[in-house]
Amino acid sequence: MSSVEREKRGKLGRLLAVVFVIALILGPGPGLRLINPDINDPNAAFTLFGLPKVYAWGLFWYGVELVIILTAYFKVWRGDDGDRATDEPKETSHG
Amino acid sequence: MGEPAPDVNSMGSLPYIVLGGYLLMLLAFGIAGWRKSTDSEEDYYLAGRGQGWIVSALTIMATFFSSFALLGAPGMVYRDGVVFALFSLNVPLAGASVYFFGAKIRRIGQARGYVTPGDMISDYYGSPTALRLLVALIGVLYAIPYVVMQIKAGGILSQQMFPGENSFEIGAIVLSIITMIYIMIGGMRSVAWTDVVQGILLMGGMLIGGLAVVTVLGGPGAFFTKVAELPPKSLSVPGTSGFWNPEMLLTVCLFGSIGSLVQPAQWMRFYAAKSTGTLRQSALIFGVALTACFLFGVMLVGLGGQVLYPLVDAAGEYYTNADGKLLPNPAVGDTPGGFNDIMVVVLKERLPTLLGSFGALVASLIMVAIMAAAMSTADSNLHSMSAVLTRDIYDRFLRPKASQKERTWVGRGIISLATIVSTVLVIIAHRSEVDPLAMIATLGLFAIAFSSQLLPVTFDMLYIRKGTKEGAVAGMITGLAIVFFISPFMSLDLGQGIADMRKAMLGMIDKGAWGLIGNVLVFIAVSKFTKPIDKARIEEFAKVADSDS
Repeated sequence: MSSVEREKRGKLGRLLAVVFVIALILGPGPGLRLINPDINDPNAAFTLFGLPKVYAWGLFWYGVELVIILTAYFKVWRGDDGDRATDEPKETSHG
Repeated sequence: MGEPAPDVNSMGSLPYIVLGGYLLMLLAFGIAGWRKSTDSEEDYYLAGRGQGWIVSALTIMATFFSSFALLGAPGMVYRDGVVFALFSLNVPLAGASVYFFGAKIRRIGQARGYVTPGDMISDYYGSPTALRLLVALIGVLYAIPYVVMQIKAGGILSQQMFPGENSFEIGAIVLSIITMIYIMIGGMRSVAWTDVVQGILLMGGMLIGGLAVVTVLGGPGAFFTKVAELPPKSLSVPGTSGFWNPEMLLTVCLFGSIGSLVQPAQWMRFYAAKSTGTLRQSALIFGVALTACFLFGVMLVGLGGQVLYPLVDAAGEYYTNADGKLLPNPAVGDTPGGFNDIMVVVLKERLPTLLGSFGALVASLIMVAIMAAAMSTADSNLHSMSAVLTRDIYDRFLRPKASQKERTWVGRGIISLATIVSTVLVIIAHRSEVDPLAMIATLGLFAIAFSSQLLPVTFDMLYIRKGTKEGAVAGMITGLAIVFFISPFMSLDLGQGIADMRKAMLGMIDKGAWGLIGNVLVFIAVSKFTKPIDKARIEEFAKVADSDS
């Protein structure tokens, strides 16, 4: 792999890592406060599109994490494919 | 109130047939693994380092997902509501970690012939005694609670499926003995092969469990309409018990995933993988498919459980015990640990009524999936604990000249001893009035808090390479001490002020995170003032770790 390609891959990897961290902070982290319904508010909406709001929030961030992993799989992790088969065990088997 | 309970809940003899067939199959795998094995230590512990992607992916997943996935997680959603469903978001992180850590660990392990995490860490930092012993201690501290909670799951399942005198004890003992036998005879190969079947059962069980509950409640539309009518606490953060504030959830997600991926059993699976490509594929399947099994499967069981078996009585008051702790609906259980039973209760009582003998078959298969989840984690942890104690203690300090055959037999002895001790612990705790091992989820998070203390050295060794031997030792000791100090099992009376501080710390973020904060700070500070690691060794490790093979 050329150094230019390696550098490009590294940059994309770092970008994906940053977005992943943001997804974690917003998804199951403090970002939950943005959508959390107030249980003391009689007018609070607990659902969104028929789903519990907190659950729908989780589904959205699962989608984001999914895109990041797929991108990493196809674009960032791609160069490390070299299979190096190991030697067969040298001792006699029980079979 | 919830849905009316059905009149018939008998599943006939199907569960016995399905479970019997499953257990016989496991023993067959044990024998097949033994026939293919050799007497070498590397073969017994790493299956000759030749595992392909299907076996690697499924054994990593099956080891990661324990009874927590099929009993603990729906139990926690049943108790706290939708907030805990977001715990599923730790799984993509775990998937990414399989590649992020696993690829480099595999390359170095393959090149230098390592078997345990202690081999690599002690070699890199040049600490053949202190670090090796600390890493071994962490391995045992992780494995024992995890094995205990799997055996307990076997007891819970048996108690629910075959009610009768001593059914809990019988279930726990049967699970322990079968697991012990196939690990002892077949080693890693049998463990990994059984993990393939167990992993498939586990994923199927998680998805079908969710589907079954949605079906019981009348399909997706009716399901979510009924869920929307649950008490407000069940639909918001921090949940019914008030425990799951966003910081707690985030830190548990972080350490539940990464902490579980650097524990010895997983570390050994990275060594055993045939190639880096194998781990790349495993990471993808893990992150994508398993999260779906959680979010669209098993988590819905907990939510549906709240509809079917409400946590509030007719007056709208939550069921609680004398200490004010939340209790499940009396039809599910009468102790705080009873939340774990929701999956089994729903399946046993609702599916056969709804779908007849087909429902009974589905319920039996999911029950076997729960058994598979428990056994696949118990076997991996018993096997890795045996490797750690044999390689890192027996070989190094007790009998350095022992033959490979002797070491393998010592490993088998350790497996049987650990199994017996864990089973006795589970039975004693179950029979005590205050079951100290009540909630499976709590037990699992406690174990992960210990394994998370391996993270700073792992990250430093693979990516940063600035830490020193003294820093690693001091950081690890600090992290472990903090986790012990704030663990709910710590019963020393240190005064009201300290007790209040512990309680406040436990309520803020995950205990593993507290340990990790102390660990990292001490690791960095001590490394600044102590002798760096030999530059040639760092370069040697880096060259292998960063290669493209």
